[in-house]
Amino acid sequence: MEHFEIRNLSFSYPTAKGKKSLDDVSLKIEKGEYAVICGKSGSGKTTLLKHLKTVLTPHGKRSGEIYFNGFPLEKVSNREQSAKIGYVMQNPDDQIVTDKVWHELAFGLESLGCDQKSMRSRVAEMACYFGIQDWFHKDVATLSGGQKQLLNLASIMAMQPELLILDEPTSQLDPIAASDFLNTVRKINVELGTTVIITEHRLEDIFPYADRAVVMDNGRIVANDTPRNVGKLLYEQGNPMFTAMPAPVRVFYNANGKGDCPLTVREGRTWLNKEFAEEPKITEIPFETIEDDIENPAISLKELWFRYEKDSPDILRGVSLDVPAGSLSAIVGGNGAGKSTMLKAVCGICKPYRGKIKVFGKAVNKYKSAELFKNCISMLPQDPKSLFVKKTVAEDLAEMTKDRKKITEAAEICQITDLMDNHPYDLSGGEQQRAALAKVLLTEPKLLLLDEPTKGMDSFFKETFASVLQKLKDQGITVIIVSHDVEFCAKYADRISMFFDGQILTTDTPQKFFGSNNFYTTVANRMSRHIFRNAVTSENVVELYRKNKGEKA
Amino acid sequence: MREDAFSKFHPAVNLIFFIGAMCFGVLLQHPVYLLAGMFASGVYYFLLNGRKGIKAIAGMIPLFIFITLFNPIVNTRGITVLFSLFGRPYTLEALIYGVAVAAIFVVMLLWFGCYGKVLTGDKFTCLFSNIMPSIALLLVMVFRMIPNFVRKAKQIIAARSSVGKGTEASASIKDKLTSGMSVIGVLTSWALEGSIVTGDSMRARGYGTAKRTSFMVYRMTKADWVLIVIMLAMLGVVIGFAASGCMYAEFLPERNIAPIEGVNIIAFITYLGFLLIPTFLHIKEVIQWNISRYGI
Repeated sequence: MEHFEIRNLSFSYPTAKGKKSLDDVSLKIEKGEYAVICGKSGSGKTTLLKHLKTVLTPHGKRSGEIYFNGFPLEKVSNREQSAKIGYVMQNPDDQIVTDKVWHELAFGLESLGCDQKSMRSRVAEMACYFGIQDWFHKDVATLSGGQKQLLNLASIMAMQPELLILDEPTSQLDPIAASDFLNTVRKINVELGTTVIITEHRLEDIFPYADRAVVMDNGRIVANDTPRNVGKLLYEQGNPMFTAMPAPVRVFYNANGKGDCPLTVREGRTWLNKEFAEEPKITEIPFETIEDDIENPAISLKELWFRYEKDSPDILRGVSLDVPAGSLSAIVGGNGAGKSTMLKAVCGICKPYRGKIKVFGKAVNKYKSAELFKNCISMLPQDPKSLFVKKTVAEDLAEMTKDRKKITEAAEICQITDLMDNHPYDLSGGEQQRAALAKVLLTEPKLLLLDEPTKGMDSFFKETFASVLQKLKDQGITVIIVSHDVEFCAKYADRISMFFDGQILTTDTPQKFFGSNNFYTTVANRMSRHIFRNAVTSENVVELYRKNKGEKA
Repeated sequence: MREDAFSKFHPAVNLIFFIGAMCFGVLLQHPVYLLAGMFASGVYYFLLNGRKGIKAIAGMIPLFIFITLFNPIVNTRGITVLFSLFGRPYTLEALIYGVAVAAIFVVMLLWFGCYGKVLTGDKFTCLFSNIMPSIALLLVMVFRMIPNFVRKAKQIIAARSSVGKGTEASASIKDKLTSGMSVIGVLTSWALEGSIVTGDSMRARGYGTAKRTSFMVYRMTKADWVLIVIMLAMLGVVIGFAASGCMYAEFLPERNIAPIEGVNIIAFITYLGFLLIPTFLHIKEVIQWNISRYGI
């Protein structure tokens, strides 16, 4: 039986001047199904999800019907909807209502007026199922982002919903926390039979397990089938959404593979094994090596040591790094390893107690603050929102300089010209990131530091963002990215450094760096490493595949 | 942090103790009783805070002396004039009264210090959530909002200083003001936006669809009831004796302090015993633990 049935749903926001956010959407979700909805930012995914719960439904012009368990949704009482339809939102922090973990877990049950005894057992049950017992009495503020989102999920599951709706739940999390979270969602679906409807950018962890993939574009559903078929359909249509597919799918179709499309790394390896039963002739793509001695580095760090408080452990434990001028360098590494702290040290926000920082050959403490941040260094913080202080993007940019021409230029580089009159908070995550970048660029830096710039961006925004970075590089600006996003760094960076245990361990080109890693590497590399020696991106794999096949033919 | 023995009791027990200790701490001016208050609160404060506690207590000594010496300057009543200051008499009675006021002040500080450690915000709201669930929830949300605000403000200031928009010590007051104003402005919009999401999240979890109940993370056990009965009985005894006037003390204009003798000693011992309940429980736990450790 259908759990949800949407019939010809159209919707437009009152301010949209007739532009439809949802356009004749019809969709059936079966009981117990795991459905993923994908699409670009702004394609109407969130709007669609919000329609599945009456209290969250936005105001605007609407036509069409929604049925829940065969009844029109608006006839289902608010109370029943609260208990049966769970909804997890994007931002882990703002969703939390109370200050203690136990209280948050009980919040939904308290609202429903549950009695003490059943509340106790349900809360205990959920805490055990999600492994929360160890932090049951903790303050919410002390949790990590991943833990917070898990708490949000657990507090909804405590109400025992039949159906779980998740709106980009992992966009604010690092990859490891994200994959943990998605595994838990899958566990709920498999073990409890809860229906799951999820929107996500990170399709690698969902696609292989989902029963149904729905692709939206401009408020319409353009594909609705099993993930395997959707991959094929998108490739055949030449749909730009194809770039968001998991790496094995992209490699398979771009290499004109035949047969069943692989969805996971394992399936991808099996497929490549079959294709190359004997070892291929060309196993390497040509790459440049980097020289160890750098003349006139943009920044040079020597043996930095830093800790936040007198008694706390050292965060930086002898960081040494040279970055050549005009390069795009990436620093990757685990969560909380101290990558962001290193950037803060370069900016002078954190003062190392030992070691030297030189920026363009001059010690950083010799610079006056005004000198350092004018035409020299600038940093884009992890949360771009913290840079905005005005009512429109244009006003925010005007805070940095009076020169109109420069503002227009920066806006053009960052492709935000048509967003200038919007409130910064109304922009999507990717747009905010670019607006903040424009603001940072107005200091005309020679050295740009970016802290997790691709967090919460979909694959299209990432490409646009990469093209912006390329433009900056062409202007001779040195860019340093600190990121969890291995795929992005592999594709666009010139040099990659590994940050671990408070130090920079190795620095190399992406090909060499990821080529010699076994686990900490890209999906494309994990899938092809037994055959090709240094294919890092899916493009690399396709290139090598074609070269080898071309010769054989 | 590990909780001390008394903190492990039900919040209602904690609350009754502190109401008792603080009310009598303010009302009783009798020097012997004040001494008892200082002793009990000091010891418990030390047990809760350890070495840091000694520092804090030592820090109160100058305050104590200051209040003592300052009182006779503003208060010139009293019959024994020691000397004159600024043409006003500085009397012995006022000085002694100053000691009493200073003692009350210090005892209150110490009890409040203990209160903050024992009856944390969540325990306090928990006490009221049964009677007034909505107001208790409101309090919880406000408690959560304030540290959030501070954290975000710090984040914004750090972000701005890394693009050269920070305020340095050398910046003019006007610059500092404008920069501060814009940070406050943006904090407000940030908070407003967050509260929309929080509101959605609350309604999505059925807020307002039924009469709220409260999840009781703390449960009344037999030990809690026993302790409550003991405390109330002790308070009853103290109040009874207080009504008879045996704790009366007057300093101005003439010293008039009720003597502690005969049956009145019972009142004093009961009072001291009451104040030492947390300390007693603490020591009892330490001893028990050591015994059981040797048993293993």
